[in-house]
Amino acid sequence: MQIDLLQGTLDMLILKALTGGAMHGYAVASWLQRTTDDALRVEEGSLYPALHRMTRRGWVKSEWGVSENNRRAKFYTLTAEGRRQLKEEFSAWERLTEAVAKVLHAQPAAQGA
Amino acid sequence: MSWMIDRYQALRSLLRRGHLEDEVAEELEFHLAMRAEEYVAQGMTPEEARAEALRRFGSMDAYRKQTHQIDEDMARERRRTEIWDMVRRETRQALRSLARSPSFAVVAVLTLALGLGATTALYSVVDAVVLRPLPYDAPEQLVWLDSAVPGVAPDARWGLSEAGYLHFAREARGLASVGAFEVDNGSFATSDGALRVDVATVTASVMDVLRARPALGSLITPETDTPDARRVAVLGYDFWVRQYGADSRVLGTSVRLDDEPTEIIGVMARGLELPDDTVDVWMPLRLDPASRPVNVHGLSAIGRLKDGTSLGQAQAEITAMSARFPELFPSAYGESFMRETGFNTWVTPLAKHVVGDVDRVLWILLGSVALVLLIACANVANLFLVRSEARRRELAVRSALGAARGDLAWHALTESLLLCLVAYGLGLLLAHGALRLLVTLEPSGLPRLEEVGLGWHGAVVAAVLCVMAGVVFGLFPLARTGADVAALRESGRGLSASRRRNLMRGGMVVGQVGLAVVLLAAAGLMLRSYWTLHAVDPGLKPENVLTFDIVLPRTRYTNYDEVNRFHRELVSRLEALPGVTGVGAGSRLPLRDFGGCAGLSAEGVTPKGGLPPCLPVVGTAPGYFRALGIPLLQGRELTWEDLDRKADGVVVTKALAERMWPGEDALGKGIRGQGNGPPYYHVIGVAGDLRAHGLDKPPAEAVFFPLAPAAKDLPLWGPRRAVSVAVRTATTRPESLTPDVRRILSELDATVPLANVQTMERAVAKSPSVARATFTLFLLGIAGSMALLLSAVGLYGVIAFIVGQRRGEMGIRMALGARAAQVAGMVVLQSLRFTTLGIVLGLVGALAMGQVMSALLFEVSASDPLVLAAVCGVLVMLAMLAAYGPARRAARVDPAEVLRSE
Repeated sequence: MQIDLLQGTLDMLILKALTGGAMHGYAVASWLQRTTDDALRVEEGSLYPALHRMTRRGWVKSEWGVSENNRRAKFYTLTAEGRRQLKEEFSAWERLTEAVAKVLHAQPAAQGA
Repeated sequence: MSWMIDRYQALRSLLRRGHLEDEVAEELEFHLAMRAEEYVAQGMTPEEARAEALRRFGSMDAYRKQTHQIDEDMARERRRTEIWDMVRRETRQALRSLARSPSFAVVAVLTLALGLGATTALYSVVDAVVLRPLPYDAPEQLVWLDSAVPGVAPDARWGLSEAGYLHFAREARGLASVGAFEVDNGSFATSDGALRVDVATVTASVMDVLRARPALGSLITPETDTPDARRVAVLGYDFWVRQYGADSRVLGTSVRLDDEPTEIIGVMARGLELPDDTVDVWMPLRLDPASRPVNVHGLSAIGRLKDGTSLGQAQAEITAMSARFPELFPSAYGESFMRETGFNTWVTPLAKHVVGDVDRVLWILLGSVALVLLIACANVANLFLVRSEARRRELAVRSALGAARGDLAWHALTESLLLCLVAYGLGLLLAHGALRLLVTLEPSGLPRLEEVGLGWHGAVVAAVLCVMAGVVFGLFPLARTGADVAALRESGRGLSASRRRNLMRGGMVVGQVGLAVVLLAAAGLMLRSYWTLHAVDPGLKPENVLTFDIVLPRTRYTNYDEVNRFHRELVSRLEALPGVTGVGAGSRLPLRDFGGCAGLSAEGVTPKGGLPPCLPVVGTAPGYFRALGIPLLQGRELTWEDLDRKADGVVVTKALAERMWPGEDALGKGIRGQGNGPPYYHVIGVAGDLRAHGLDKPPAEAVFFPLAPAAKDLPLWGPRRAVSVAVRTATTRPESLTPDVRRILSELDATVPLANVQTMERAVAKSPSVARATFTLFLLGIAGSMALLLSAVGLYGVIAFIVGQRRGEMGIRMALGARAAQVAGMVVLQSLRFTTLGIVLGLVGALAMGQVMSALLFEVSASDPLVLAAVCGVLVMLAMLAAYGPARRAARVDPAEVLRSE
């Protein structure tokens, strides 16, 4: 099954993907697809705007290069700023999932008691 | 201009949207191709693969829009920071470069600031006085109505008669409304005595004409503007603030105005005054349509044109209505009178009436300071040239080494704009100061002075001038860098191909000298006018005389005896003060608003068109002529004893006696007011020529009646209420009498206010003709001196530069046997050559300028040879002076040293 991404989560995933080194957009999309076994639905149409936005914010920087199969492609690299951003988003995400998990596993109290 | 194109392209590529879109498309194409390849590998046909890749990608449109928006934002931000960085970088560089030649920067800034400041200040005056609309709603519709009889001296403009006013107000179709008013002085009772106030008595329709609104309460309405309505008043805004601290509780209270209880019903909106006068108190005129005096002209009248009515149409209608006067008012306007005198009522745009012919003076002055600015600019341009000369090698080398022309131009431009910006700030400060000074100096004859100030109009004009100057100065020294580079290539030291540059510089100096000639000639002509004007014998002796004005409350001084008693007491008490040698009281003093006339018949004289000449009538108390130093050529003036007997003597001026009774003895001749009533007044004295209307005007024709005339047929002046008093003293500081005057007046009658205390000398200086000449001379003098100074600096700079350039040549000449004096003479000759050329050109301009300003001149020819010769002399001396330093330097050139360095 496929899960729609939470708002803002895409950025974090892309940043994570780029921790492995410079990647072009297609590679980022493929990596996300592969890693989640197609569970997360990343609309490719929103991947590139996200990359643009992050470039603008200075989290990643882009550079034209040559792909594995000798085509011109734009490669994205994580900046120091981007690394910091990923760290922050990651810890926020962990806190959120923990909190949600706690709620979902808890026994609801009886009304009125 | 290629450097500009470079800049432009650099900026464009920074923002190029097409470029970004290409990148986005390429990135997308790569992605789709990779995805398609993947599907082909899974066994799809290429077409299917492509379609699947596209489908999987999602909304192509949303994608484009989003990336596009992000890129736009990014580009905008980048552009902002880049431009800001560039400005900062260039500014820093320019500052550093300017700091290396501080004297250049300071001189350039000061010169420009002076020029800009003067121009901005004068422009602001022109703007406030001439250009800015009057402070009323739809002011272009407002007109001034004035009955006039051409050629009837001395005051051909009469104002309207009550009957005439009512006729126009009721019948004129082209005018939406017509209002009439009179302005008078009144006595306003306050807790610490009486205050003299300016009272405007107006018809209710004046409120409509001016579209007046109250700040408080109500205004004058038709109900309050009837003869039997109760006395009400509307306070002027400024007076309300001054007198009541803007307290709204003043509404409905009763005050004593001219010692009569008057109810305050409102406060006029802020800033609303009558066109020519400030108003402290507005009161209804309360004309009585039943009495309608037809032959007394004296009302001021204003009207508002109906929408769509032109001035011409309104004039045509009023002319037609005036032509019917003989039929409407047969007792006052005979057919022959109308035919022979050309009586008519004129409709003038209100702005023209208010500004009068002052605009001509102002435009001339503005033109003069603009010329000064031009000279200043030429000087600064020269400074830039000299400076660029010093840096030419540097520029040429940098240029040859590949520095973009654009960069060089950009630096130069930043530098000059920076200088101009500083000059702009200083100039505005100067202009502001000058305007403040002008307003405090209060040159009389300059209308709308209260509106003068440094407004945004002036600031914008200065800014435009400034940017223009900056661009020109920055760029034109660079115009020749290309040639310099070529010269540099040809020879190592070269750079001598500067003939054109010298030509430009020489031309500029010639132009400067020319402009200086024009300005100095203008100032010189004005100076001669001023002197001539001051040499005119006014017919009185203004030295050591103190003057002041009083107003007798109407209710307390109703008849001949009461008025006479007050004046007699006042005069005798003032005469008793130590040091006082004469006291005179009169309804008017010469050179102080001596207008106002009444039609008078002279015995044995048949007036033109049956119209008695309108002559200034002045009420005088005994002592008037002695106090003012007006000589009596024949006879004597009335004494208090004569007045006790109600004697009927009058004094006339020589000019009047000569016109009325040429070749005859004026003494004993009869003079009568309008109407057919019995008594003639009899001439008992003839006063000398008196320039009462202005030093530039012919001697006045005037009749001096008793201050409170006994006869009943002089309707214009019952007992005089507003009186001016002149006190002649033995001291040269007559104003020291003021406290005594104040004390005596308050002892005599505390309800009589004292106002306008000033020396007669000051009154003469403030009389319009003198004040205008002084004001014009003052400004032209400043403009002329600035022109002279700036031309001297310019001339010096160029000569010094040429000497510097020709050192080699001079060294060789001296080595070949030329003497030092010869070389120095050469330099002086060069300076004289420039000056002569400039003088020749300038004389042409000066003659033209003289024509333009001939209306401002007084008994001086516009091409006065003395002035022109003096100006030429001054400039020749200037040329010598400017050449002195460089010539000495040239004479000291050591040929050996020069030859060595060759």
